[in-house]
Amino acid sequence: MTQRFLSHADLGALVAELVAAHTRVIAPVRAKDDARQLDYLPIRALADAALGVALPRRSLKEFFLPPTEVLLSYRQTKEGVEIKEVPTQAQPQVILCASPCDAAALEVVDKVMNWEYRDELWFGRREATTIVSLLCSIMDSSCFCSAIGLGPDSSRGSDVLLTPVEGGYRAQVITPKGEALLKDYGSAELSAAAEAGAEAAQLAARARVANNAPAIPAEFSAWLAENFDHPIWKTMALRCNGCGACAGVCPTCHCFDIVDEHESSEQGVRRRNWDSCQMAKFTLHASGHNPRQSQSERFRQRIQHKFSVYPRRFDEILCTGCGRCSRICPGGMNLPEILGELMALAKSEPEKSEGSGQ
Amino acid sequence: MNIYQPHLMRIVEITDETADTRTLKLEFKDPAVAAAFQFSAGQFGEYSAFGEGESTFCIASSPTRKGYIECSFKASGKVTKALRRIGVGDTVGFRGPYGNHFPIEEMKGHSVLFVAGGIGLAPVRCAIWNVLDRRDEFKDVTIVYGARSVADLVYKRELEQWAQRDDIRLCLTVDPGGQTPEWKGDVAFLPKVIENHVVTAEDTYALICGPPIMIKLTLPVLAKLGFAAERIYTTLENRMKCGLGKCGRCNIGSTYVCKDGPVFTAAEMLKMPQEF
Repeated sequence: MTQRFLSHADLGALVAELVAAHTRVIAPVRAKDDARQLDYLPIRALADAALGVALPRRSLKEFFLPPTEVLLSYRQTKEGVEIKEVPTQAQPQVILCASPCDAAALEVVDKVMNWEYRDELWFGRREATTIVSLLCSIMDSSCFCSAIGLGPDSSRGSDVLLTPVEGGYRAQVITPKGEALLKDYGSAELSAAAEAGAEAAQLAARARVANNAPAIPAEFSAWLAENFDHPIWKTMALRCNGCGACAGVCPTCHCFDIVDEHESSEQGVRRRNWDSCQMAKFTLHASGHNPRQSQSERFRQRIQHKFSVYPRRFDEILCTGCGRCSRICPGGMNLPEILGELMALAKSEPEKSEGSGQ
Repeated sequence: MNIYQPHLMRIVEITDETADTRTLKLEFKDPAVAAAFQFSAGQFGEYSAFGEGESTFCIASSPTRKGYIECSFKASGKVTKALRRIGVGDTVGFRGPYGNHFPIEEMKGHSVLFVAGGIGLAPVRCAIWNVLDRRDEFKDVTIVYGARSVADLVYKRELEQWAQRDDIRLCLTVDPGGQTPEWKGDVAFLPKVIENHVVTAEDTYALICGPPIMIKLTLPVLAKLGFAAERIYTTLENRMKCGLGKCGRCNIGSTYVCKDGPVFTAAEMLKMPQEF
């Protein structure tokens, strides 16, 4: 890893050159429908970006797994069916001033997307994208990245991590992609004052999120599996409306549906659309049988998948502690609170609960 | 290559099994794909009717029968209804084979008990023909098959063929009330038939597929006969979309039916959360 100093002017020049070369640059900007909120959107100049204001409403997921995307198009004639493939290579893009939790989420989801079968649509976009993250200074009480083992200064999933210092940024270059992006910008000289300033900013940011939730212990995933039938799941889910908003804003929820859509009697497309385990139809069999009939079972699936199934399959928690699910939930469900309650239970009842397993 | 891209297959034969269940015989359109295609008994695929979507079925034909595959389905949803509307010569999509398979090689030199209920005979039939096409490699073969009524029995021509062979024991049954005046088989629920006809579990593998309630009531009967849970194999049929471990739909606890299954032993199923 190398370090550089980037002035605000350097960063502005980088954006200008990328835009001039028709590279899509995405950054947090004021939402068009609500100036208090931010969205990750394409920018034309650095001045379009709103930095250090708030976490964007949605994560970076949609740039890699769009809410809806065409998997193939088909044409059906008397002679048969012709399939038109979709390209799996994507146009180069740069994501600027990403939140570290959103950058980390992509690396977590990479595991399932590369599980035996490689999802070339996902990885086509991953490979074409360079991610420059910015030290997080915008946390609120819903944030709990440090409980997951990340932090506001995590460089996981980033090609470059920026930390604000006097007059600009300390740029930590994490990957060759980051190196290629920054090689002509800023200076390799980082003053001792800038270095000290960056470290102070890191410490201050960490302190602001550290007490939001206790760290999740390694044995928690096994406890959740053992306590699949614990009575707590029923009462915990009472406030859950099953709307699935949590899954939409979640940077790591990746479940999808595949459907065909006619465009005419002869042709149409096959699409992949975001879906959520909170929907009753998600697991409904053709026979009418549904393995997850109640909302408490569907809520349990969400928690189990993130904090037990994924850790046991991929050695990763399927959550980055971004807090979006808590902020958006119309029922007032709060994930750090829920985890706190479950972890307290795991401490007081370490054994398998009565009625578990069978 | 995009992993969601299906191969094109031509329908070469259609058999109506019951009023609502149909078997399609399919051949790959691309000879190179046909030549490279291999699968094992128990594996499944995603079959598509273009314009309607994809549906998950096992491959119902045996891997010993080369050059084609068959699938059997009940017209119950959007895709299966569309697959019923199309005819011989028409094109469907196929992705697969996916998932694990029955332990045919491990079963060599042992006896096999096949148990199926209703359309659950489809995955079992794949294994039955696999064993029958290599009959001398296995000891006793017993098939117990039941349906709600005589009209609901599938693969009727093959049931007749099996009845005439002297190297298979075939027990057919329909639920009480489902018999016709001509019916010569049993009239009883499947677990009872197993209790009456299957004498021993010694040196025997059991392969059992059917509706969840049938599996649930049959497992204790097999246990009573002395079948070890590790020797009882079944398939789980969770709703799936991708078949590739990505879409997040088919898991039971940390078990992904599409990747770890669809074939599981009764012992494995007992260890899973009971959410299927």
